[in-house]
Amino acid sequence: MEEKIAVVGAGSTKFRPDTSEQNWKELMFEGASKAYTDAGLNPRKDIDSFVTCAEDYWEGFSIYDEFVPDQLGAAMRPTCTVCGDGLHGLAIACMQIMSGMVDVVAVEAHSKISDLNTYNDVVLFAFDPIYNRPLAGHPYYVAGMEMNAFLNGSGNTEEQCAGVVSKNMTNALKNPLAAYGKRVGVGDVMGSEPMFSPAKKLDIAELVDGSVVLVLARAEKAKDIADNPIWITGFGWNSGTPWLEGRTWGRASYAEEAAKMAYKMAGIAEPRSEIGFAEVDDKFSYKELMHLEAVGLAGRGQAGNDLENGRFHADGDLPINASGGSLGCGNLIEASGLHRALEVVLQLRGQAEGRQLNDVERGLAQSWRGVPTASGAAAIFER
Amino acid sequence: MSFTHWHGDMEAQYIYTAGIAGERFFRELKDNGKLVGTRCPKCDITYVPPRMYCEKCFAELDEWKDVPLEGEVVAHTEVHVDIEDNKLAEPFVIGFVRIDGTQGGLVHYIKAPEVRNGMKVKAVLKDDRVGSILDIEHFAP
Repeated sequence: MEEKIAVVGAGSTKFRPDTSEQNWKELMFEGASKAYTDAGLNPRKDIDSFVTCAEDYWEGFSIYDEFVPDQLGAAMRPTCTVCGDGLHGLAIACMQIMSGMVDVVAVEAHSKISDLNTYNDVVLFAFDPIYNRPLAGHPYYVAGMEMNAFLNGSGNTEEQCAGVVSKNMTNALKNPLAAYGKRVGVGDVMGSEPMFSPAKKLDIAELVDGSVVLVLARAEKAKDIADNPIWITGFGWNSGTPWLEGRTWGRASYAEEAAKMAYKMAGIAEPRSEIGFAEVDDKFSYKELMHLEAVGLAGRGQAGNDLENGRFHADGDLPINASGGSLGCGNLIEASGLHRALEVVLQLRGQAEGRQLNDVERGLAQSWRGVPTASGAAAIFER
Repeated sequence: MSFTHWHGDMEAQYIYTAGIAGERFFRELKDNGKLVGTRCPKCDITYVPPRMYCEKCFAELDEWKDVPLEGEVVAHTEVHVDIEDNKLAEPFVIGFVRIDGTQGGLVHYIKAPEVRNGMKVKAVLKDDRVGSILDIEHFAP
């Protein structure tokens, strides 16, 4: 990447299933205030542009982007909302800097999903209205189908998926932001209620509220603002076919392509030897294994074995979701990808407290927009 | 302690247009009990459901093809809960069936004593059809 861009501020709320006392604007204000304090910046004069990531139906507003400025310190300033995951917003923020128009940009993503009483119905509303929606039912069946095709096609197993849950929920015990940290064994997951077989209750990340904010700056500014700038050296995004009928079931093509784009920008030829740790989407347990294979951090059909051999554990060669991931921290909807990025930044800064990884230089954050999408993004961060 | 909330809901109704390709698909299904797709000769892809453009080369497609009611299960799941997360008395199977001779297929209910990927199944049509994906009752061996 020619233009050097750094993360100079990072902040977030705790992730909680219930935030009844706080409204969505206050949640965003909290995340933003923490990030601005971290950066030592006053948003009313030091930040040039603001990007949020949101989707009207999650929020319960039409034209949601109108409701964004005040709680971010962005009133009467350039603001835009990306209908995408937090890493899509990060990419937009980087491009605004690369264009030369602005020097410092805040990117925000959040979930106030506890405000939505009919989450499953809104997810179903994302299905094709004529070919798919009339079949009705709980929309997560699409994940059950994908898990079935992925396990059948790759040779990974249900037990290995359960191992992902065990690892991530256990990792979350060391993350003060996490909502679902718990000591859970493979047997607990395997014995949990069948939902969308082979997916069981514990294979599925629970929803959670929270707001995550990163402040980005171009190199010459970044060095003034931050003692410990974390460099964004590559990013990418991709959408596969939205047609359930046109997909290669069992393959995360969007993740393959998004990672390829990010690796190319970062000059990474061999991700397995050049990336020290990663935070990848795990809204469903199998997704972690599927995404690791897609982004080239595990061989095809090998992610489950690597997991069992301890490679992805916090003390392994390639720690994955040391934060606890979505399984351990909660599904933050559009903020999930930005939470991945936040964790990579905290690890590279050496601020990951009890879960700090040793000697990390470069990490990957990867996102998926959730059922029923085939869309996602990726970003590379370096110390 | 309980906090103040305001209950809101959204009045939103739509009439989704089946479109040029969808119109023909649903008319053939309703009137003739047949499945049809469109073919891109350049990419050699047959789309089911039909599309009037090729996803791969972006060409406009006007080559129609009758395709069989038969296909193969590519992915499936047994669903145990309803949309409100209540346990279903009777779990059901839903899956993706690749229609033979095409690169597409349909997502639908599958009824068989034991469903396996790779299994051959056929669309079971309703007698009274209205032009809907539910004109197919389910797929079965």
